[in-house]
Amino acid sequence: MSNETAAITRHRAFSVARVFAITTNTLTELTRLKVFYVLLIFALLLIGSSIFMARLTFQQEFQILKDVSLGAMSIFTSLLAIVATARLIPQDLEDRTVYTILAKPVPRFEYIVGKLTGVLLLLAISTLVMSAMFLAVLYIREQAVLHETLRQMSAAPREQIDDALRAVRSSALNIDIFPGIVIIYLKACLLAALTLFVSTFATTNIFTIVVMVFIYFIGHLQATAREYWLQEHSTGWITHSFLALVALIFPDLQTFNLVDDIVVGAAIPLGLFAKTAVLGIFYTTIYTLLATFVFYGKEL
Amino acid sequence: MTDAAVAVRGLTKVFPVPFHRQWSRRKPRDIDGQPEGVTSREASYQSVVAVRDLDLRIEPGEVYGLLGPNGSGKSTTLKIILGLVSPTRGQTEIFGRDSSLVESREAVGFLPENPYFYKYLTGEETLRFFGKLCGLSGARLRERADQLLELVGLTNARDRRLSTYSKGMLQRIGLAQALIHEPKLLVLDEPTAGVDPAGSRDIRNLIVDLKRRGITVLLSSHLLAQAQEICDRVGILADGVLVCEGRLEELIAIENQTELVLENASDALVDQIKTLATSSNAKLIARRRSTTTLERLFLDATSEGSNK
Repeated sequence: MSNETAAITRHRAFSVARVFAITTNTLTELTRLKVFYVLLIFALLLIGSSIFMARLTFQQEFQILKDVSLGAMSIFTSLLAIVATARLIPQDLEDRTVYTILAKPVPRFEYIVGKLTGVLLLLAISTLVMSAMFLAVLYIREQAVLHETLRQMSAAPREQIDDALRAVRSSALNIDIFPGIVIIYLKACLLAALTLFVSTFATTNIFTIVVMVFIYFIGHLQATAREYWLQEHSTGWITHSFLALVALIFPDLQTFNLVDDIVVGAAIPLGLFAKTAVLGIFYTTIYTLLATFVFYGKEL
Repeated sequence: MTDAAVAVRGLTKVFPVPFHRQWSRRKPRDIDGQPEGVTSREASYQSVVAVRDLDLRIEPGEVYGLLGPNGSGKSTTLKIILGLVSPTRGQTEIFGRDSSLVESREAVGFLPENPYFYKYLTGEETLRFFGKLCGLSGARLRERADQLLELVGLTNARDRRLSTYSKGMLQRIGLAQALIHEPKLLVLDEPTAGVDPAGSRDIRNLIVDLKRRGITVLLSSHLLAQAQEICDRVGILADGVLVCEGRLEELIAIENQTELVLENASDALVDQIKTLATSSNAKLIARRRSTTTLERLFLDATSEGSNK
């Protein structure tokens, strides 16, 4: 056997190159599905809302622009995460491409991680593009309002003009938007990992999507339900264990909703951001491990 | 003693029937007794026995045909050998390595039945993708993809997406991806299923060529004539049990009969042979004009048609 062939057959328990090959292929697969049309809808929504808001005061305008844009980003990335991920494994099983991949020296863990990373990359690109569009519109509107303010206050004293400009700037583009966008992305990552987990034992894409829609709504409502439950019932260990189990199956998605704070211009405390980010990463990791566990036991 | 290319010992695979389907079954599954190594629970209506106590040994360099009707357990056996399905009992090894280990697949190339690859990739991209999964990269990967596209006759179609490939072309690109990492063992599940006779002949010729290069081939098929042309040894599965195994010429030979094929023989000569045979206590059983095969006729006719 030649040295080159010998090099090929030296197996690595984990190979970044193999995961990268599956990741790039998954990203190509998803982009060919024209999922980026979601971005077009987002752009139209932004343009439409900007036209509508031209009649409002600048504080209202910026507030609604942030509310609509960040809300739409959250919904679109969540939707994209669920729809794009739900089909990946069932489609490969149906087309038998999974056989050819796993008949190569590829561990199932790498296959799962590669597929998920492809979706996470797609979500990252989508979030970046939507953020860029949103920030560009916000910046353009801010500049327009600044010009208008300067024009209207041309005769006013310098301090008054500075105060007015500062008020415009503080209500438009500020640093607190960025942690909010990161959390929106992490929420989408969590949903993608959970969808991948569900799809490892689901029989159809529709089943996965329906289950995920339920989880999405329950995830947003469970915090309220939990508070109500704890108020009404005793707080023994059985109750806490049950609630912990519910929290694991249905992640508290309301925790990832920091948009309201950003819209009213409140700063997101670093501790809250870090805690939410760690929670998102924790859930994503747990669901990926669960997906791998189920997939290892799956008869192909 | 060298390791067998494939060694299967006491392999049994029982698929449990999903819980919701058990309610629709009124009586236990009708199987011929309870086979050795299968528990009464496994033999009951709650499970389906796909492979029973199978032993196989395939030597390096052989072309081995696993034959049997649909549902006889051929594909399940291949999937267990490839680690895609876990056995209920028994052991499978590839060149001495436990086949459930991922690293055993370094030595194996696999072409599933009716493969569908990623349709949005071109032929070359497909080979590059599978090559990367096998640890190939750079110039080595490019070179290997070129060689294989040449080998399977798809050089001209390398930049076409697989969605435009015919069934035969898909089988050939499938064969190329199976060979990308220079495996010592090639596992082919119904390699000519659904392919027209010309495409089928191409695949057959490729398998013969691979055998000449020393690659072991394990193929499953229910097309017996094709298996007869290329296999050194065959095993016949029925209801998950290996009912017959051996060298092909030994299995199909009729012990007490001999064939003579004569050219330009007159009727008088044939009568003389018949008389001679009778005087030696032998018997002329059949006398007929030699024929070609329907496949040969089809291939000759279609190649003549295309040349006109």
